[in-house]
Amino acid sequence: MTNRTIVEVHALQNVPPSNINRDDTGAPKTAVYGGVTRARVSSQAWKRATRKHFTTVLDPSELGVRTKQVAVLLAQRIAAKQAELVGAPAMALAVEVLQAATGAKIEAPKRKSAKSGGEDVGTPEAAPQSSYLMFLSNRQFDALADLAVEGGADIKAFLKDKEQKDRAKKIANTRHSVDIALFGRMVANAADINVDAAAQVAHALSVHRVESESDYYTAVDDQNTADETGAGMIGTVDFNSATLYRYAAVDVDRLEDNLGKGLSEDDSPATPVRRAVEVFLDGFVSSLPTGKINTFGNHTLPDVVIVKLRSSRPISFVSAFERPVTADEFGGHLEPACARLADYVPEIERAYGEEDTDTWVLRVGPATRKLADLGTEVPSMRQLTALVGAAVAERLEHHG
Amino acid sequence: MSVLTLQLAGPLQSWGASARFARRTTENAPTKSGVLGLLAAARGLTRDADAELAELATLRFGVRIDQPGTRVRDFQTAHDLDTDESMPLSERFYLADAVFVAAVAGADPMLATLYQALRRPAYLPYLGRRSCPPARPVELAVHPGGDLVGVLRAEPWRAADWYRRRRARETDVELTLLTEVPAPGSTPNATLRDQPLSFDPRHRRYALRSVHTSTVTVPNPQARARQTVPPHDPTSLLDLA
Repeated sequence: MTNRTIVEVHALQNVPPSNINRDDTGAPKTAVYGGVTRARVSSQAWKRATRKHFTTVLDPSELGVRTKQVAVLLAQRIAAKQAELVGAPAMALAVEVLQAATGAKIEAPKRKSAKSGGEDVGTPEAAPQSSYLMFLSNRQFDALADLAVEGGADIKAFLKDKEQKDRAKKIANTRHSVDIALFGRMVANAADINVDAAAQVAHALSVHRVESESDYYTAVDDQNTADETGAGMIGTVDFNSATLYRYAAVDVDRLEDNLGKGLSEDDSPATPVRRAVEVFLDGFVSSLPTGKINTFGNHTLPDVVIVKLRSSRPISFVSAFERPVTADEFGGHLEPACARLADYVPEIERAYGEEDTDTWVLRVGPATRKLADLGTEVPSMRQLTALVGAAVAERLEHHG
Repeated sequence: MSVLTLQLAGPLQSWGASARFARRTTENAPTKSGVLGLLAAARGLTRDADAELAELATLRFGVRIDQPGTRVRDFQTAHDLDTDESMPLSERFYLADAVFVAAVAGADPMLATLYQALRRPAYLPYLGRRSCPPARPVELAVHPGGDLVGVLRAEPWRAADWYRRRRARETDVELTLLTEVPAPGSTPNATLRDQPLSFDPRHRRYALRSVHTSTVTVPNPQARARQTVPPHDPTSLLDLA
């Protein structure tokens, strides 16, 4: 455990009147911390937003496909590799390989018409399916297709060999897609191929006390020409505004377990991990849950992003805000929140001997000035992700 | 025999003992399975490492409620990212703003290893649920030769500053102690199904264990002496004779 690498992301983000994550009554989510009510955005809401962001920056080959039609997809790849296998032979190979790799049953769904005895001549035989949604990455499909082609002559005998069966299982357990490697996967009946998430995202909390406000609205019916012109509709929308502290950690070692090393011989072994770290950083920082966003138009980005690379354990700085921040004489929570962090971070790191870290700071505006000395200042998000990605790759290569 | 003490503090924690499916509840205090899971993760044990878990499960467990916190109910919707189909609605319960001191007692070498592991955990630590990172370092100390109840009684009050000030009128505060071994004046009537037998996701199994409830009194460092009213009797000035 000497070569440990953990990436921490801390962000302070102003969110104006909004309701980005609401409970079942429609009110923004809250939690009590330090004895006062705070705005809260749940971790799952932000993880979903991050995951959605991935689809805009990652090639589909780096994301997974969630489907029951795994056999069809695999058969297509097998046929693409070996043209004479097109059709039924490819499908038969796909079913065998998938069953060996995942331990799941792959069979054609039973038809209602067949059950009642009627011969179903009109429809072709249904393609075999897995009994539940499976989430496999494109790299896993490719590797399984290679295996199928290799053992193509007599696939059943091929997979009876324990060594080959283990190879199939291993493929299902490594080279996961980026989003699965980061956020994990739960497959209901195949615990063998579950993935433990490498990323941890905390619930975002406001650094200050919040009180939920309620907007009473009326909507006029434009077509109502009656003398008695009442409202066409009335209602209320709950909202609050907050300066959020957001925290996430990525366990680079676990990420490497999940993703595997380099894609090919001439590729650096650190490439998949580096790519995933960069994508996570970018996605976590720049995404925003979209709840009521057309009502409030609260599109903001963090004013401060601090990234730390640690070698022992992650540290959340949420304690710095246990005593709620109060707005300063000119108003605003951002500046006092930055001052808190600037004092707190060196103190906690000194107290627990965790000073040996690389730190980068991306910050906007004079309110964040106090954080400038916390680490290397970086002028743009693009450079921040590049620097962190390079540092992660350097550590992985250095430690082998 | 030694005792390892841990502090479990964070904005949110969640310690389910019988939480299943769409309704994920939390107990009022950390469970043995949750704390052993935290230790196992720090050591880098995989979920199917039943033999190593069995060794960990021999540890005796106790917890002190230093700051009980409040309950948060989180209502969660989920949609399939690909099809946008709705998944079943689920409820998750959390303890917000709580602080606990947990302790495990066992053989010295095992506790020394665990203490070191907590400082360099193999898996990222969390307080019962992955979205609940600790807000303070978890490990406190190894007490050589201590007994579980004695160590938990002697531990200073770990509540947050604001909470101690809120109770400034009390020079001593009474805290609830939940231990696996009988403590002086405890009521041994409760059982909880949180003695882990296997964390293997294919067949998680837990056995029942007994819980002894008692209280312990600790000094409040933030206590302010109550202002004493000076003797004042206006009638003494009247010449009633």
